[in-house]
Amino acid sequence: MNDWLSALFALFIFPGFGFLFVCALAFQWIDRRVAARLQGRIGPPWFQPLADFIKLMAKEDILPTGAHEWACAALPIVSLAAVLTAALYIPPSFPPIGGEEGGGWAASAFEGDLIVVLFLLSIPALACFLAGWLSVSVYSIIGGNRSLLQYFSYEVPFLMALSGPAILSGSWSISRIAAQQSQTAWMVFVQPLGFLLATVGLIGKLKRVPFDIPKAKSEIVAGPLTEFSGRKLALWHLTLHMQTVVGIFLLVNLFLGGCSIGLVVPATLVFGVKAVLILLALSVASVLYARLRIDQLASLGWRVLAPLALAQILIIIWIGVA
Amino acid sequence: MTRMTIPIGPQHPMLKEPLSFLLTVEGEQVVDSALRIGYVHRGIERICQNRNYIQNVHVVERVCGICSHIHTTTYCQGVEALLGLQVPPRALYLRTLLCELERIHSHMLWLGVLAEDIGFTTIFMYAWRDREIVLDIMEELSGGRVAHAVNVIGGVRIDVDEAQVDSILARLDELERQIETLLGVIQHERTFQVRTRGVGHLSAEQARRYCVVGPTARASGVDVDMRRDAPYAAYDRLDFRVITAEEGDVWARTLVRVQETIESLHMCRQLLAGLPQGVLTVRAPRRVPPGEVVSRGEAPRGELVYYIRSDGSDRPARVKIRTPTLTTLITLPDQLRGATTADVPAVLAGVDLCIACADR
Repeated sequence: MNDWLSALFALFIFPGFGFLFVCALAFQWIDRRVAARLQGRIGPPWFQPLADFIKLMAKEDILPTGAHEWACAALPIVSLAAVLTAALYIPPSFPPIGGEEGGGWAASAFEGDLIVVLFLLSIPALACFLAGWLSVSVYSIIGGNRSLLQYFSYEVPFLMALSGPAILSGSWSISRIAAQQSQTAWMVFVQPLGFLLATVGLIGKLKRVPFDIPKAKSEIVAGPLTEFSGRKLALWHLTLHMQTVVGIFLLVNLFLGGCSIGLVVPATLVFGVKAVLILLALSVASVLYARLRIDQLASLGWRVLAPLALAQILIIIWIGVA
Repeated sequence: MTRMTIPIGPQHPMLKEPLSFLLTVEGEQVVDSALRIGYVHRGIERICQNRNYIQNVHVVERVCGICSHIHTTTYCQGVEALLGLQVPPRALYLRTLLCELERIHSHMLWLGVLAEDIGFTTIFMYAWRDREIVLDIMEELSGGRVAHAVNVIGGVRIDVDEAQVDSILARLDELERQIETLLGVIQHERTFQVRTRGVGHLSAEQARRYCVVGPTARASGVDVDMRRDAPYAAYDRLDFRVITAEEGDVWARTLVRVQETIESLHMCRQLLAGLPQGVLTVRAPRRVPPGEVVSRGEAPRGELVYYIRSDGSDRPARVKIRTPTLTTLITLPDQLRGATTADVPAVLAGVDLCIACADR
């Protein structure tokens, strides 16, 4: 009985849906507010993300004639589910007392969960492409194509950058990589280049400025999501914002030592501060740059990011051997 | 590769005014484009024939929401020439002052629109925030932010006093600092340059053949400026540079316009410093003697031409308005050919279209 309750608690409250939902809204608000202040604006009040979500959920849900209704309804749910599942393996905190050996308080953990998480996190990009393809609008078809092209540009350096900490710590479990850093050094100090590449890759994954190419509104309206409205659009937005949270949590675990224990301040608070720092970096980046073209991104991804990531991995392996 | 047709407009997030482009694309590359205009045609030239000369000042002010003042200036200039009126120098200075303030506001608006279209929201926000300074000045002077109703036939209806001059000068200094900052950002931010360099190229030869005017022509190395070539109002008494560039792409257009904005600020200072004393209007008769006139002015987007014919009554027999945007519109298919779909907003924004002007 107790096992059931704690499993349900983990799935729906912490660190599952409820916690992620609150984080998604909070991160979205911080992001919008910081970007607004940097641009000389005021920014939205704290409840704006929630209000936006509720408003979209209540709106009429229409699809153009000829769109694949079943797929268009399923795709946002599938991508949201993928992101939520990925979140189960990413510990946002250590257990208050005790806990399994070496692991954080992820809802679940096993050797190799990093690979599963990376796979799950790439599902929204593919779902986006399909959504664009199946919703019969020229803008969404172009947007879908672009999101697939973008996926090929950032994903390889992103994966290589994230495998750095795994190779160095000899484990492919996120919880274990995080725990190991609290005993040794944070990976960001060992592999600053890897951290940078992972952050850039994350910006591409989240389709944020300057890599907001698939949804460039002055070019292709809203890209793959042009024809979506109401609940489906709300779910797409929620997916994106949860993906932001999960992606940032992943970076904190792999590079910033997760939540180190032994301090007086609560571990979750430390973790939150690290996560918000990465979020701030993303917000600042979104204010600093103009949107790139897809060909410019592809050339950046393959000519600059991928070779750098490869060099980083080779260095790590060389260190490991030596 | 399969061809696809993408409609840009008449409703599209990129467009601030209705215009329709049907782009034929192969993948991301534009191979052809078809232009349709006329969505905001209001028949202003015909309306002008049904109103008297004084009412028409307010009609032509509504041709454009951005450069309303240069329209009334050029129109009044034409009617004054038909009447043989000598406009008092103080009125000419004030007209010119408003023209230059309007150019600053138009160019800053354009910079914001371009930045927004290439996905650089920050410059958009900064440019439009700083544009408020010049809008405030214009509102104080005339009572309106974009429709100023400053010109009357035979002079202007506004005046400035010493205190206003000082306050305007102080705010112009503030504005210049902000524009210098923006110029610095544009010149040093690489993402801005990779999105604008080599995009929407128009050679000097093409610009001449299409009769392109204004900053777009000057960015292609065609050195035309009505303010210097055919001085009107108080421009013959001002000292200013005509900014040109050679590249002929969106990047060159950006540099030309931003530097022109700074040049306009200097001109505003000269105008305020050298403001002559005297009356503001001379009396104009209601009936205009028969004849015809071509009146020209340099709008923010280039040469603006008014042709007015009078049959001796109090209403014009014909008013023909030729706006600078019309000349740039016909160059767009050339500029778009071979561009990628991502460059389309930069190209369309780069030439600074004013559809309301073009459609009239």
